[in-house]
Amino acid sequence: MTKLAHSELIVLLLSISAMLIISRIVAELGKKLKLPVVMGELIVGIILGPTILGMLYPDFFNFLFPHTGNVPVAMDGIFSLSVIMLLFVAGMEVQLSVVLKQGKIAIYTSLFSMVIPFFTGFAVAWFFPEIFSISTDPHAKLLFALFFGTALSISALPVIARILMDMNLFKTNIGMVIIASAMFNDLIGWLIFSFVLSLTNGSKVEHMNIGYTILYIVGFGLFMLTIGKKIIDKTLPWMQTKLSWPGGVLSISLGICLLSAAFTESINIHAILGAFIAGIAFGDSVQLKEQAREIIHQFVTNFFAPLFFVSIGLKVNFIENFDLQIVLIVLILAYVGKVLGAFIGARIGGMSRNHSLAVGFGMNARGAMEIILGTLALNAGLISKPIFVALIIMALVTSITSAPLMRRFIN
Amino acid sequence: MDLSKLKKRPAFPFETIAVAISFSPRCPLILSEAKRLSDILGATLLLLHIGEKNIEKEQELDEMMANVGIDSNKSRVIWMEGEPVDTILKLCKLNIVDLLIIGALEKENLLKFYIGSIARNISRRAKCSVLLLTNPTTNQFKFKKFVVNGVENPKTVHTINASIYLAKKLNAKDITIVNEINVPGMAMAMAEDSTAPQAKEIRKHLTEESEEQINEIIKNADVGDVKITSKIIKGKQGFAISKYARDKKADLLIINSPDTHLRILDRIFTHDIEFILADLPCNLLIVHSRL
Repeated sequence: MTKLAHSELIVLLLSISAMLIISRIVAELGKKLKLPVVMGELIVGIILGPTILGMLYPDFFNFLFPHTGNVPVAMDGIFSLSVIMLLFVAGMEVQLSVVLKQGKIAIYTSLFSMVIPFFTGFAVAWFFPEIFSISTDPHAKLLFALFFGTALSISALPVIARILMDMNLFKTNIGMVIIASAMFNDLIGWLIFSFVLSLTNGSKVEHMNIGYTILYIVGFGLFMLTIGKKIIDKTLPWMQTKLSWPGGVLSISLGICLLSAAFTESINIHAILGAFIAGIAFGDSVQLKEQAREIIHQFVTNFFAPLFFVSIGLKVNFIENFDLQIVLIVLILAYVGKVLGAFIGARIGGMSRNHSLAVGFGMNARGAMEIILGTLALNAGLISKPIFVALIIMALVTSITSAPLMRRFIN
Repeated sequence: MDLSKLKKRPAFPFETIAVAISFSPRCPLILSEAKRLSDILGATLLLLHIGEKNIEKEQELDEMMANVGIDSNKSRVIWMEGEPVDTILKLCKLNIVDLLIIGALEKENLLKFYIGSIARNISRRAKCSVLLLTNPTTNQFKFKKFVVNGVENPKTVHTINASIYLAKKLNAKDITIVNEINVPGMAMAMAEDSTAPQAKEIRKHLTEESEEQINEIIKNADVGDVKITSKIIKGKQGFAISKYARDKKADLLIINSPDTHLRILDRIFTHDIEFILADLPCNLLIVHSRL
């Protein structure tokens, strides 16, 4: 077994501690300016990455984040684990019963806020691939168009939840519609994205029928959300009373998340889907104690999330890859598609004009989910760095503007 | 019959009570409870049987009514053939029934639950209040301890007032109004950037808001000498109150009627009333406020 050398272990520990400590300091400062934590983490990545540190002090940058040896391999493992954990906690907040409870208004809002941005994004990518410098090869064009549509249609439940909490809208009708619709968006969005990712696996899936891929994804989802959830429901009370608290439930839930992720990865669907669906099955259980839920959230959000979001800045030079035209197009499409879609859905569902607009701007926040989606797409070779940078900027701008724009229409 | 009378008809008093007769071994007990309740509330009693009318069944019913002491002048028996759920619901509408009494098992097997039994399906769809009796007896009414839902819903005020009305009539002294707090996404929203005092403040605010809402309803109600307490609990709506009622050994759990038409999907991704129907913690009264 290859082991980290003494010096490599020191570098690994130094880089992780630098990411955790500096991102926390910057995030706390950002809080004073009412900026999302993820923004602070991204900024730290940009500062520590090739954009600033790499440019000003290349030797120190290469020492702290080496590109050769065992350290980058260990880092890559940690980042992969981070994204799996992030998807697990994102899934934990998806409660399908909330969508059903909100009824037709949530279904309409959710469907329109997905369908309109999806087709807007798909159409622009399909008919104007030159804007994004995408190859005209039909397969590559189709994959990019599918991804771009999905990227524009996803919402960020954590950001939305935070905004609603700050605006004291959590328990209101409008708040519940936004939450329920965002949950449904997330579920469908990640299912589609997993499908797109499985198609990019090239040689791994060259003999795999697309029909089978869809069947596996839907079958796995249905199994976990029905039978899997019932099993979790039955065993959780035992876990929470007979095993050490909270260690027992923590290790078993995270273990099941990894098991589920390993399973989906092994059937050529990305590990994130397994983690996300396992999260839904766990989080939707009535037996999961609120304290256990909070502990899992705290652990993942404050350890894995900073590492993952800081790592984004380490991979990409944001100045070199900034393309104003792409950024503007992505921003316009994101705003128009999402706000219009959610607005139409909420109106059809019976909401007033102003409240429908508030729902539209509320659901427009893309936040961390978009960043995760973009990173995975970049790693899979689905998108170029300029498009990735544009998606990150879009995620941040939509998250920051969501609350003030909502406020205009709620008041 | 003028069906427009149903619309906006108040949730209580229960002037017309119907009881579904199935000729099961528990039938005399359910009939006995229905008779006693209609006497206490001064209501007209309707006996509904969905099935073939024949001499043997008529004799059996007459015998049961005589044993229980139902005065045939103060009650009416309706026989009708058809699909049980639809027919019972139709009869309740036509006769402007305020309260329908049905016997129900505490828990049904999985298949029956998903397909939907008669009692459960009536509870999901009825346009009048429904009382599901899980453990009917011939003894005196033991509905002394009520647990009532206090969820944020326009129907709740009618449900609480109906509970107070019933408590006074049945001489029940103990009503606990329970509000379940479940805010999806809150753990995630607070995990990132809330300090401990901020998180505590948010939770406190949510609890106080719920308490204020219940207190407002109680303040405007004529509670008489009924002791009402409020309780805020964490957990999913339906599941948490059901567990609370079971733990508290309540005699009667009183909840709002469902807001939407419930289908099999609502049983698969269980929520609200479906948690209660899946495993009845005690007798259940579903108040239909006819809003």
